[in-house]
Amino acid sequence: MPSLNKPAAPRTLNGESSTLVLKRTVIVAIFAAVAVVLSVIESHIPINMGVPGAKLGLANIMVLTCLYFLRARDALMMVLLKTLLTAFILGTFSSFLFSIMGALFSFAAMWFLLLVGRKRLSMIGISIVGGIAHNIGQLTAASLYFLTTNIFYYLPMLLITGVLTGVAVGIAVRYLIPALSRLSLFESFLTD
Amino acid sequence: MKRGDILLIGLIVIIALAFLIPRWFFEDLSEKNHNDNPLVANIKVDGKLVRSVELTEEEQIIEIETEDGLNILKVHDYGIEMIEADCPDQLCLTFGFVQRNGGTIVCLPHKMIVEIEGASGEGDEIDAIVK
Repeated sequence: MPSLNKPAAPRTLNGESSTLVLKRTVIVAIFAAVAVVLSVIESHIPINMGVPGAKLGLANIMVLTCLYFLRARDALMMVLLKTLLTAFILGTFSSFLFSIMGALFSFAAMWFLLLVGRKRLSMIGISIVGGIAHNIGQLTAASLYFLTTNIFYYLPMLLITGVLTGVAVGIAVRYLIPALSRLSLFESFLTD
Repeated sequence: MKRGDILLIGLIVIIALAFLIPRWFFEDLSEKNHNDNPLVANIKVDGKLVRSVELTEEEQIIEIETEDGLNILKVHDYGIEMIEADCPDQLCLTFGFVQRNGGTIVCLPHKMIVEIEGASGEGDEIDAIVK
């Protein structure tokens, strides 16, 4: 299936490429909604890993899958939507600033690795880096806000939990991508 | 899983252990400091110091009422822990019992941070590192 990511000619804009735009919008909306639901579910799972800030990061499944199928700017839109909605449902405005910092760090790291290291790293490696980048983003935001570097004390523990949760998320993505590829909605976005 | 993934995981675990292993050794040493070097927990809300509590062996319950909500801390056995908070994410409760110098408890939604420091100021910290 040839890639249709580049708009071919101006006259086809009304036909094929507008359906493509519509499909993209639909996928971004659905993925953001699923990511929010996953975050809400995750907040109800009473796992205490003994490390403050450590979490499963189930929403990262959707971010990584979105980055795989769509362009970076669509995935960025999805990340912003997901973070905004999750903050409205679960948090307060002040915690939104920290989540957005983590989400953007994580997005940038995964996008960069997908560009550069696609051949060397699988989805597992990329999701590990994404999870850890999320932690580093949040710790940086917190240390800037409170003007203390003491919070970085928890970073080594977060690296370990980040590897564990990153592997789990990466495995989930590896099952999700082939399953979604069979749907007709995703037909025009297959890269291989 | 590709080879790059294994290398990446190995690298991250080695970096993490490089920080964690020396810490386990030093934690044993700092246990002895409790008696002659009392620690203090500084509780700051929105950047301002609200209260400073000495970390004693006896139990103390500290209630901090911020603009955004209530936090309850408990001091015991030369350490401190957050036992109750009405913040939305409850993340501050996962910090657990903190007793080492430089330890922190953060409650982001309430803009609150608890930092443990040596009672006689920063000077002690530098001495400890030089040794």
